[in-house]
Amino acid sequence: MTSWLKKIQQSPRLQFILFGVLLSSMAILPLLGVVRSSTMSIYAYIIIYTVVALGLNLLLGFSGLISLGTAGFMGAGALGIGVFMNMGLPFELAVVLTLLVSAMIGAFIGLFSLRVNSIYLAIATLFVGEILRQIYSQVAIFGGEGINIGPVRFFGLIELNRSLRPERSLIFLILVIVLVVMMIVAYNIVKSSTGRALMAMSRSENAAQAMGVSILKYRLTAFITATLFATIGGILYGIYFQDAPTRQWDLNLSLFLIAMVVVGGIKSFFGMFLGVFIVHGLSDLFLKDWLGDVSFIFSGVLIIVVILFYPYGTVHIWVDFKRFLKYIKSKIDKRKGVTPRG
Amino acid sequence: MTSFIRIFFNSLQTGSVIALAALGIVLIFRTSRTTNFAQGSIGTLNAYVAAMLYSSWGLNIWLVAFLSILTAFITGIVIDTFIIRPAARVSPISKQIITLGIILIIVGMLPYLFGIDPMTFPRFIRTGGIPIAGATLTYNTILTVSVSLILMLLIFWFIQYTKWGLAIRVTASDEQTSKLMGVPTKTVTMFSWATAAILGTLAALIVAPTAGVNINMLLDVQVSAFFAGVLGGFQTFYGAVIGAYLIAFARNYTIFYISDTWGNVFVYLAILFFLYFKPYGLFGKKPTKKV
Repeated sequence: MTSWLKKIQQSPRLQFILFGVLLSSMAILPLLGVVRSSTMSIYAYIIIYTVVALGLNLLLGFSGLISLGTAGFMGAGALGIGVFMNMGLPFELAVVLTLLVSAMIGAFIGLFSLRVNSIYLAIATLFVGEILRQIYSQVAIFGGEGINIGPVRFFGLIELNRSLRPERSLIFLILVIVLVVMMIVAYNIVKSSTGRALMAMSRSENAAQAMGVSILKYRLTAFITATLFATIGGILYGIYFQDAPTRQWDLNLSLFLIAMVVVGGIKSFFGMFLGVFIVHGLSDLFLKDWLGDVSFIFSGVLIIVVILFYPYGTVHIWVDFKRFLKYIKSKIDKRKGVTPRG
Repeated sequence: MTSFIRIFFNSLQTGSVIALAALGIVLIFRTSRTTNFAQGSIGTLNAYVAAMLYSSWGLNIWLVAFLSILTAFITGIVIDTFIIRPAARVSPISKQIITLGIILIIVGMLPYLFGIDPMTFPRFIRTGGIPIAGATLTYNTILTVSVSLILMLLIFWFIQYTKWGLAIRVTASDEQTSKLMGVPTKTVTMFSWATAAILGTLAALIVAPTAGVNINMLLDVQVSAFFAGVLGGFQTFYGAVIGAYLIAFARNYTIFYISDTWGNVFVYLAILFFLYFKPYGLFGKKPTKKV
């Protein structure tokens, strides 16, 4: 038993899987009537945003690049599969095509980023986001207000419809599985030579170049990966809500996504979930019931306070908590008359 | 020809609005090293104050404008002292997210302070204008455009030729060193926030008669102001202002003569294309970097 625990402690990949197993309880609880099924939808949102935040973290945390167009790519995911599936294409093909399209836009931004830096790059991505938003609301194939996706057939085997409760739980399970896979993918990228190259690039581009890191290759990698994560988040939105609105993918959502990464803890994996939970989940799960409309003010204050006191993210609360436990322990030991070791 | 001139007058006014907002953003970017996403929200907050003073209290419109500028000044100072200054050591990205927090607080506060009904705010000069080639140049447009131009010129003069302006310029170029040289950088930053809030509020008051007073009244202006900053370059204070007028003219003319749905997109793509060749804007130079 203890050897199992040790194994889990040493392997983040096992931790991700265990986390997924815990999270999937949310799919079963509404069926038993323990929690409201709207709670499951909030967790679905949390999973979707976590996937997007994992990609944004690669960009913001590990590569030191910023994007204000993330929401646009989420929209590309949701609306993309909507358009392709309405054309009659199977779900899998729609996903592949959507990912291809947004990877191309991501590559375009990556190329652009070779010339443009810092705030100019941030606002250049805002340009892309605004152009995408205009396209979503004006082009006829996106249906003006949104696209109804309807039941999704996976691999030609099972068709899942969100209006039936058990099937909605199954969709939620798919979301959890994708989240765990994306967490492992993000972890693998960071721990590979690509991750090391990205981090070298974020510290000093000139030094990285001198060590043989190709800026072109890794900027493209960073932007394409981040857009793919965002698009996958959007696709998950399409699968779960089976409806793709055109108007919600704006600058505010992009800012919120950055807030999630920053509040959770840059360069951390569980931190992304924590950040999404604090910025998005907390207000929807508890604050709206307890405080009503004040939840907006409260979220704002929360973001500011967290950034002021934990500039490296809330994951570091855990470190402080451990230190606090140690402190208490030493106090108790002293009172017992035992001299602390070490 | 008539519509050409009418659009010209309109663009002058939209250009002034964007320029006011953009100048505020650049001022804060240079002195506080943060992108202020809350520029629009701060202006909106004070526009609400103005609308309330005007419609509920029935004060004179000029007095209302003066009072709302006063509250804007206070808002700027409060935000700087309680939120921005304690965050001096926070990383640049986190600092931007702090301004998102400010947006949330303001948006959350508005319904409590002013109710949920949309409000209105009239033009400063209700009627009258000069007919020029079939189009009318209203007295209100003349007033708003000239006030914003004079104000911005005054700010440029202040930055370029006074001792405090020198303090702003040195803080913008290197805060650490200027602090060591005895420049009161804290005061400089505080007044930058206050000035930016005033500029945002003026933009809001000019937009208010047409857009109405609501939470999203400055959304478009703010995004355009960022674009203006990029087009003109963040390294000079006047770049963003020129960029703002350029964007206003380009957008209004393309929307009218080429396509009303895709005009924006054409202009954005053109600016992106331009940015590829001049990555630091019209007036920006490539900063030197130590290895």
